[in-house]
Amino acid sequence: MRRAGWLALGVVVATAPWLVAAAVPRQQRYVLHVLIFTALFAALALSYDLVVGHVGSLSLAHPAFFGVGAYTAAILATAGRWPFVADVAAAVVAAALVAALVGVPLFRLAEHAFAVGTLGLGLVASVVANNWVEVTRGPLCITGIPKPRLGALAITTLPAYYWLALAALAAVALLYRGLTTFRLGRAFHAVRDNEPLAGAAAINPLKYRLLAFTIAAALAGGIGALYAHYLSVMCPEEMTVALTVNLLVIVFLGGVGSLRGVLVGAVLFTALPEVLRLAPTWRLVIYGALLLLVVIRSPGGLESLLRRATGR
Amino acid sequence: MPLLEVRGLIKRFLGVTAVDHVDLSVEPGELVSLIGPNGSGKTTLFNCVTGYLGADGGRILFRGRSITSAPPHRVARLGIARTFQQVSVFPRLSALENLLVFLQQHQEESLFARLLRTPRVRRFEAQAIERARRLLDLVGLGARADLDAGRLSYGQRKLLAFAGALMSDPELLLLDEPAAAVNPTMINQMKDHILGLHRQGKTVVLVEHNMDVVMDISQRVVVLDHGQKIAEGPPAVIRRDPRVIEAYFGR
Repeated sequence: MRRAGWLALGVVVATAPWLVAAAVPRQQRYVLHVLIFTALFAALALSYDLVVGHVGSLSLAHPAFFGVGAYTAAILATAGRWPFVADVAAAVVAAALVAALVGVPLFRLAEHAFAVGTLGLGLVASVVANNWVEVTRGPLCITGIPKPRLGALAITTLPAYYWLALAALAAVALLYRGLTTFRLGRAFHAVRDNEPLAGAAAINPLKYRLLAFTIAAALAGGIGALYAHYLSVMCPEEMTVALTVNLLVIVFLGGVGSLRGVLVGAVLFTALPEVLRLAPTWRLVIYGALLLLVVIRSPGGLESLLRRATGR
Repeated sequence: MPLLEVRGLIKRFLGVTAVDHVDLSVEPGELVSLIGPNGSGKTTLFNCVTGYLGADGGRILFRGRSITSAPPHRVARLGIARTFQQVSVFPRLSALENLLVFLQQHQEESLFARLLRTPRVRRFEAQAIERARRLLDLVGLGARADLDAGRLSYGQRKLLAFAGALMSDPELLLLDEPAAAVNPTMINQMKDHILGLHRQGKTVVLVEHNMDVVMDISQRVVVLDHGQKIAEGPPAVIRRDPRVIEAYFGR
């Protein structure tokens, strides 16, 4: 029964472009666009949860890594004429390098100071994107980022983009599972739950924190690159504190430290505001009320509701 | 060569000298107790040895090699295990996983092998699970293996923490008040466990307030007062030492 349920969900998700075309032919483009955003946001939120949920460090710098990746890919693809795969790889490496470099001093800060430090990094990144005009073109944005091309396969249509985003989400989810279970996951959770005791268990807390932080940044960089290619434009507004707020909502209201919770959170909190456009006047009011309801009724996020409902 | 050697250790907190030129030498296989009134520097000494506090002076040697400024994880990796006075477990991991955490870092494997779960890593995991189950049975928590450690009783958590310290089969065990705040049955259990380790040839240093336990099982007792070592010797001698009596009961 459970297996059948998952299989059905998988089929629906994989065939969504056709289903959408059949169900709402006139709004097909718009719905697909929302679905692509949802997949990319879900992947980004999963990468964020590696740090926030699994090593328990409240980083507010995620948009910075997303932005580093997006700009790296955008600049290399336009000015450098790099092929798609190479510029995405460069985006991953660039974001990871920045994270590894700033992570060492940042993790010397105690909890709240760490959060403020990472917030500072996020602001600096945003200022650089706005003002380093020679490279980022500042508020004029980098435009004309070419469509992705995988060998002979050009990804130009919305359904193709959807499958690309879905593949990225699947890859991130797979890596997320691999990192957060078994022996690696146990070491991460030991550091998160009791750092002094983790030390007594021969775990180097800094090493594992830095590992999670760097991998999360690398993934955010890659997703940033896909995002830039999808929009074909990259602007400084894409990497502001508002993105952090979105990620925090998805992760904490979805279910921090849980693959299912974060996915549900991403679907709900990316798609929901769009669905609510049907009632434009009340859109934000309804959205805000729903957020409050979740926080009050289920402080552990939607995941704890799901757990109660399904008994596990 | 002593297994653990502390030479002239000094630790100050804001002008208070918590550990004041303490020398301590522990031979392989010895069972030594560290006693003294509250605030005499016992736990501070443990924290310096295991890398949780940096020393302000002196040297700490393990098997003749300096570990004076090594961080906790490196000290643990060398084969020194410790327990904490405030019972310390990983509350959101199961009892079994709590023990697995304590062995996995001692098994040689790369992070990448760990992510890919190579056959070697899986073999290590199987070995770790087997050992963890044996130790859970030893401390009587076999039936609680899958329960979150945070849901165990105080005494059970204490036993779990003790079992965790044994997971990596360490050469030296530093136990901080294993018999504090538990019922008499469990005190006897703990005593038996410690004597069992001693018989296996393990080296144990015990910080303990329960004098019955200390006098019963220690080969040698070291007494600290105001951060200084004031006496050292076999239990029978320490019991009658006037300086010890004064430190404990006043004049």
